[in-house]
Amino acid sequence: MEQTTVLNILVILESILLLVISFILFSKTRNLTKLKKYEEEIIKMKAKNEAKMGDFLPILVHELRSPLSVIKGAADLLMKEVNGLSADQIHTLLNQIKSSSNSLLDMVGSILDVSKMESGKFEVNKSFNNIEAVLKEVCSYFEPLAKMKGLTIECQIDKTIMNFSFDAERIKQVVGNLISNAIKFSPEGGNIIVSSKKVGSDCQISVCDTGVGIKDSEKPLLFQKFYQASNQDGIKKGTGLGLYISRGIVEAHGGKIWVENNVPKGSKFIFTIPMN
Amino acid sequence: MPKKILFVEDDEGFYNIFSVPLKMKGYDVLRVSDGSSAVDKVIVEKPDLVLLDIVLPGTSGLDVLKELREREETKSVFVVMLTNFGNDENISKAMEYGANDYLMKYNIVPSELPDKIASFLGEDPNFNIKVTEL
Repeated sequence: MEQTTVLNILVILESILLLVISFILFSKTRNLTKLKKYEEEIIKMKAKNEAKMGDFLPILVHELRSPLSVIKGAADLLMKEVNGLSADQIHTLLNQIKSSSNSLLDMVGSILDVSKMESGKFEVNKSFNNIEAVLKEVCSYFEPLAKMKGLTIECQIDKTIMNFSFDAERIKQVVGNLISNAIKFSPEGGNIIVSSKKVGSDCQISVCDTGVGIKDSEKPLLFQKFYQASNQDGIKKGTGLGLYISRGIVEAHGGKIWVENNVPKGSKFIFTIPMN
Repeated sequence: MPKKILFVEDDEGFYNIFSVPLKMKGYDVLRVSDGSSAVDKVIVEKPDLVLLDIVLPGTSGLDVLKELREREETKSVFVVMLTNFGNDENISKAMEYGANDYLMKYNIVPSELPDKIASFLGEDPNFNIKVTEL
């Protein structure tokens, strides 16, 4: 009788064990299928982006051609029509030459940065700097542009962060790129918050906006070369190099950069710079 | 009565270099910097000619052109595409939608634009209207 009971218990235990093993195997297969699906999706998205890289040349040509055409056109007018132009008109045209030359220089700088990053020759020049001063300077620089679009910029500084070693010019470039994107992708009446805080031994900087936000499917592609997110009107502009270069700069400091959804709406770009 | 040109252009630089010589020749140059309000502006201002960029905030220039041709009150307005995107797809779409001409910004010498506009409007390119300030 006792033997039968033991046998029964063993059979039940065996069945339970089989059930558990089956369940584990089932869930593993399910996870593997999920993982496989995810992997396939990423490969598809990457392939899609590779195709975009093929389309990059016309975009680059367009981006270079626009300021060049303006410089050429303004110079032409100044040469041929100088006697008929008013002082204000001359001033406007000269200003146009200056700002178009600056945007060309920025673009050439970006292309050079990308080429250095690709060949592993990109370097940052670190020295002891104050992150508060850097963030305030970039915020002030973008304030007039934000105001023109009916947006506000707020700077929230963690005062406990002391001076540490980083490349101030390059970090200005990263923060500037993030703010400029936030302005580009935010509808009128929005708010942009630039903040710093100490997280462990890192300085964490974030740029939040109340814009249209970023689709989950776009997030893995954002920091790739030539990827251009669409703005609220579905219009794509620019070279698609800003976030790629920003990632290169942050990684050259030993930090990380990523994007999250801002609550209740918009995007939150975050990057870290190790302070040690 | 000066002829009215509506410039649909979001780039300040292009607007400046192309509007200056037109104003110097006496044209009344108006500007709208986004695609979404372009059609309304055409309805209200009734320009003689529209210079229309393609990459615009709001609605693309090609969609603006399509809408202009679909609406009774704007379907016959003279539209010249003025862009730096010269790919075949855009050109054929613009022609299909009914653009009167397609000009590349980098090919246009600003001081020569008034003559081109005059020929589009069937005017004597050498007409001399009073010079006005910006």
